[in-house]
Amino acid sequence: MYEAVHAYPDGEATVARHAATAARQGYDGIAVRSRDALAAAGDGGPSAADRGESPARDPDALREEYGIDVVDAVEIDADDPTSASGAVGNYRSDRTVVCVVGGDDALNRFAVEQARVDVLVRPMAGGGDFNHVLAKAARDNGVRVEFDFGPVLRETGGRRVRALADLRKLREIVAHYDAPYVVSANARSHLELRAPRELVAVGEAIGFDAEAVREGLQAWGDLAERNRDRRSEGFIEPGVRRGKYEEDGC
Amino acid sequence: MKHLPKHLRPRWRYLAVGLESWPDAAIGRRAFQRALWYSAGNLLGDAGSADADLTLLSFAHADGTGEAVVRARHGHVDEARAAVACVSEVDGEPVGTLVRGISGTVRACEERYMGRATASSTQRDVAFGGSERPAVVRGDACDVETESDRVGATTFDTE
Repeated sequence: MYEAVHAYPDGEATVARHAATAARQGYDGIAVRSRDALAAAGDGGPSAADRGESPARDPDALREEYGIDVVDAVEIDADDPTSASGAVGNYRSDRTVVCVVGGDDALNRFAVEQARVDVLVRPMAGGGDFNHVLAKAARDNGVRVEFDFGPVLRETGGRRVRALADLRKLREIVAHYDAPYVVSANARSHLELRAPRELVAVGEAIGFDAEAVREGLQAWGDLAERNRDRRSEGFIEPGVRRGKYEEDGC
Repeated sequence: MKHLPKHLRPRWRYLAVGLESWPDAAIGRRAFQRALWYSAGNLLGDAGSADADLTLLSFAHADGTGEAVVRARHGHVDEARAAVACVSEVDGEPVGTLVRGISGTVRACEERYMGRATASSTQRDVAFGGSERPAVVRGDACDVETESDRVGATTFDTE
């Protein structure tokens, strides 16, 4: 199972600290949402170490050190769909997972209608809303919608009640239209990370299906794997690869 | 009062909980118990909180790391786990919690999951973000003080 974290300088812990904590908690990998926390990887160029940069910014070195996968993701937090669109175009080619921060009706709409976007994160935060039109668009474009467990774990009082109500609404719509989704605790430091079993227990306490939470955590890993495959050299389009044909195929 | 016949005694499960905080945080037993009960009360309601019980049996915390044994009623372990996960602050200090394991007796819980020797912490200057900064180093973990804030790093970041 995977978790998506905010790392230093955006959060309060470095990628390495997140990776060390997540490995101890039983995750298979982490996706790093912060734009400046990792060097962009995977385009076949020289690794960070070869370029003379610190290995702490190199996903491959971190993977080696802590034994869990480190995925270079990016979160696009734009004011309006036009600038978000430009940013998606810029980052799509050099990041494995591209997320768009929602929380605004126009941005939510933009994110679910773009097949280039992988995840719409925090769609209900700060007055954003979600409905059946967006759910259908998300399903048709394969954009995953994030269930943000952060406020459930860390807020109290009225704000938490509103976050829980929003989660329930989102869950009902997403489940009805069978839209793809992910689950995350949105940890900003190693202290905010919670183990997968804990997130499953919290999910059950607030009305989620245990299996659904597990799938939501696994989904980050599936996304990373799919996008790495797409960015690999042999990939031409889904189902079409360049390379040797299989010997036992007919 | 005369103790209950065996079949009427409640059956318990014991959760070994690992704690982590910033190195300068002081977290007391009573404060943690209060945070735990508040968390259970808020997440599960009074009825669910009473069912889960969540009494703190032992507690230790020093230098940014700690551990605790939490008692929960058999059959309410998932609720207890959720309540433990929702403890995000104790007395305003952010804490990380992790359920290391669950046992049927206190003794098994302590023998299996508690008292792991934690590396002792030392205060020294490390190279981080292009300059020397004061930090508390404990094993691989390295909590660095920057101008405005604290950053959780590891020795991997500071080499």
